[in-house]
This record gives sequence, C-alpha cells and structure tokens, in this order.
Amino acid sequence: MIRFEGVHKFFGKLHVLNNVNLHVKKGEVVVVCGPSGSGKSTLIRTINQLEPINEGKLIVDGMDLSDPKVNINKLRAEVGFVFQQFNLYPHLTALKNITLAPIKIRGATKREAEEQAVALLTRVGLAEKKDAHPSQLSGGQQQRVAIARALAMKPKIMLFDEPTSALDPEMIGEVLDVMKDLAQSGMTMMVVTHEMGFAREVSHRVCFIDFGTILEEAEPAEFFKNPKHERLKQFLKQVLSPMH
Amino acid sequence: MGLDFHVIWDNLTYFFIGRYPHGPLGGVALTFYLAVVSCILSFFGGMFLGLLAISRNRVIRYASEAVIQIVRGMPLLMVIFWMYFLYPALMGRAMPESQTVILALTFFTSAYMSQIVKAGIEGIPKGQTEAAISTGLTHRHTMIYVILPQALRNMIPSFVNQFVSLIKDTSLAFIVGVSELTHVATQINNRSLIYPTEIFLFIAVVYFIFCYAFTTLSRWLEKRLAWAKAI
Ligand SMILES: Nc1ncnc2c1ncn2[C@@H]1O[C@H](COP(=O)(O)OP(=O)(O)O)[C@@H](O)[C@H]1O
Ligand SMILES: [Mg+2]
Repeated sequence: MIRFEGVHKFFGKLHVLNNVNLHVKKGEVVVVCGPSGSGKSTLIRTINQLEPINEGKLIVDGMDLSDPKVNINKLRAEVGFVFQQFNLYPHLTALKNITLAPIKIRGATKREAEEQAVALLTRVGLAEKKDAHPSQLSGGQQQRVAIARALAMKPKIMLFDEPTSALDPEMIGEVLDVMKDLAQSGMTMMVVTHEMGFAREVSHRVCFIDFGTILEEAEPAEFFKNPKHERLKQFLKQVLSPMH
Repeated sequence: MGLDFHVIWDNLTYFFIGRYPHGPLGGVALTFYLAVVSCILSFFGGMFLGLLAISRNRVIRYASEAVIQIVRGMPLLMVIFWMYFLYPALMGRAMPESQTVILALTFFTSAYMSQIVKAGIEGIPKGQTEAAISTGLTHRHTMIYVILPQALRNMIPSFVNQFVSLIKDTSLAFIVGVSELTHVATQINNRSLIYPTEIFLFIAVVYFIFCYAFTTLSRWLEKRLAWAKAI
C-alpha cells in the first residue's frame, strides 16, 4: 500500500529524510517512533503529499507520487490523516465536520452523509455529541471526532501523527481504544507515537527513526526485547522509564 | 451666545432628503445611499482583490499587490477627482456624480479591505487547510467552506472600522457637487449665513449616529457568530 524507495527530503539545507526505505502492506499497522525533530512528521506527511519529496520513489495505493499526472486530491481522499492538534473546523458542529468532504467530494447526499456520520460517531462513542462544536468537546473527544472525519471518506490508509501527544493523560486511553478497534478491523495504518503499549499490543512492525533515517525496523516483540542500535536503546530507556 | 436650532427645523426635509421628490435625492438619505452601496460593493471588491493577493499564481499576486499599494498611496480626494475627470475622458461619456463617487469610494475602500481579507485568511492556522485537503477537499472547497467562514468572522471588527471611515468619507462627495449631507449643510449655511455652529453641530450628530449604529450592529453580529465561545 505504501512503499518508500530511497526517499530524500530537504528543508533548504536541512536533510530531513535521508534515504528512507519502507514498505507497509495492506492491513498492516506500522508504528514509527524516534526523538523529537528526527523527521517522523515529515515522513508521514509525505504519504499524502502535505510535504512533497525531493528524491526517490514513493508509491501509495498504486499511485507513484513523483508522477506529475497523479491526481493529488484523489490520493488524499483515499488516505485519512489524523493530526496531533486535531484540527477540527471550529465553526462547524461535529456532524458537519464529518459530512463536509463526503458531500463535496464523494457526492453523497446530505442525508446519506449524516447517517454515515452518526454511525461513525457511534463507533467512536460520541453519538450524543453530534451537534456540539469542537470548543464544547474535550481534547480526547475532539480527536475521536477527527478520526471519524477521516474515516468518513472510507480511506484505504489511515495515518496518525502523534494523535495522543496533545491530550491530558486521562484521555489518551479513549483515543487509543478507537485506534485499536480500527487496527483490528483490518485498516492499513501508519502511526507516529510514543505510546509503546499501543505499539506492542497492536502493531505489526515498529520503526525507529533518527536524523531522518530508519535505523531499526522490527516486529514489536523483537523491537523491544532486542534493540540493536545504540541510539534505540537510549531512546527506549527514555520513553519506557517510569517518568513517562 | 445662545444656539438657535430653528434653522435645522425649518430645513429638516431638505437635510434629510434634499429636493426629493421634486429633484434628486439628497441629504442624509443620499449619504446613507452612498455609504450602503459603497459598503456592499467594496466588500466584494475587497474580497476579490484580497483573494487575488493570495493567489498561488505569482503574476496575479504581484499585479493585485501593485494595484493595492498604488491606491493606498493616494488620497481619497484624488481618487474622486480621477474618476470625475478621467472617466468621461476615457469612456467618452459622463457618469452621474453620485456614481462617480460610489466608484471612487469602492475602489479606494476595496484596496484597504483587501488587506484585511488577506490578513484574515492568513491568520487562520495552517492546520485547518491541511486538515481539509487531507480529506480530499480541493483548494477552492477548502477556501469556501473552511477558511473563509472563520476568517470573515475574525475580520468583522476591521471591516467595521473600514466602513465607519467610509461613512465619513462620503462627505468628500460634496467636492464634486453631490448633494449629500455635507453639501446640503454648506448650501443651507451659505443661504442663512448666521447659523454655522448649529448646522455643523447637527450634521456631526447625524454622522455620529450613523457610525455608532453601525458599530453596535456589528458587535451584535460578532456575538451571534461567536461559535468559539458558544456553550
Ligand atoms: N516546514 C518546515 N520548514 C523547515 N524546517 C522544517 C519544517 N518542518 C519541519 N522542519 C524541520 O525538520 C526537522 C524534522 O521535523 P519533524 O518531521 O517535524 O520531526 P518530528 O515530527 O520527528 O519531531 C526538524 O528539525 C524541523 O525543525
Ligand atoms: Mg512531529
């Protein structure tokens, strides 16, 4: 579903992605972790072209992103993205946040879209909040609405960029539960997170990225038990310490 | 020195509607007309110029930016004169004075409004655009349904400032002989000669009421649209 081949990305002189090779198969859940500033966000944002790549090859759902003929809006409709800061539309209710794109892009009628939105809100446990504006929702609730909004386009791939990092600790669980559910339903997912419990329990593979390079990639059991790279050992010590 | 407001009372219809219905509309009514029409037109003019100024096409962006900067560098009076003298010369036919003034006010105010529009749009966090295009929405959809509704609400206070200036700027129409409130006032003053204080005090109050009413209206509107604080 997603294939990086020798991908490079620069911000001016800054070499943010350095020869990234990664393959995510259909139905796989891949967790990406790494220190702050290592390029995790940039990596995941290249997949729906929020950041274009400079070199290499990136193929998503059979579309080669370096091909100028690729319809970028069509690609994005197939790829859901969940942001650290939720980015719900503050002027619209939860329901309208969810129905906007299906109505405009998928050509759904208002009624179809609303029925689907209510179903999705029920799935994330927020059916009774459909008429609430984002400002009336807690962080955890906003993030669940944001997930529902992404799912409304029936994407083939879901991307999450630190979906729980902006949340109060007591709200992290409710968002992770929704994500676990989604993973178990067979969704192809790529998740940037430091929630190692989620990685261990749900993911098929974990990648460690540092200075824009994937230093280590392994199944979760192996990843946590036998980290090979010195940098990863240090990193795991930090994120798994009781202080976190 | 006592003030004698008889002169206002005696000329009240003239102050409010000019020579209408026997002649053209004038006075307060014409001021109101000039202000409202120019407001509406410059709202759209400002939106248009502002959207051009953030276009992803560089040529369009620079061209609109140039127009905006040039207009902002001119006194309004000069824009009115330009319209007044140049329009007939260029188009080969004259235009009613009030239309000249509306055109000038619209042109002038649009340039300022466009800056408000531009800043308003740029002030919406980037995450909003990213979220919208990530669901597959086009840039146009994103602008119409996500960015503009939020930006317009944030722009209301600046819009109001601009419109209040515009209401007051309509008084410059008197220079090309449009019989709006200030023009009517100078006429009555020239006729009666001894009541300038009363006359100009009166029109000051009228302008104030206009502007104050408008500001109040916009505050109400802003509150109604305050979804961010809605509970
Ligand atoms: N739009 C940008 N322009 C310039 N530099 C950027 C931009 N976005 C990110 N960077 C830089 O690229 C590096 C990687 O950023 P990011 O991918 O956000 O890291 P992470 O998500 O792992 O914290 C950082 O040094 C960051 O400062
Ligand atoms: Mg990041």
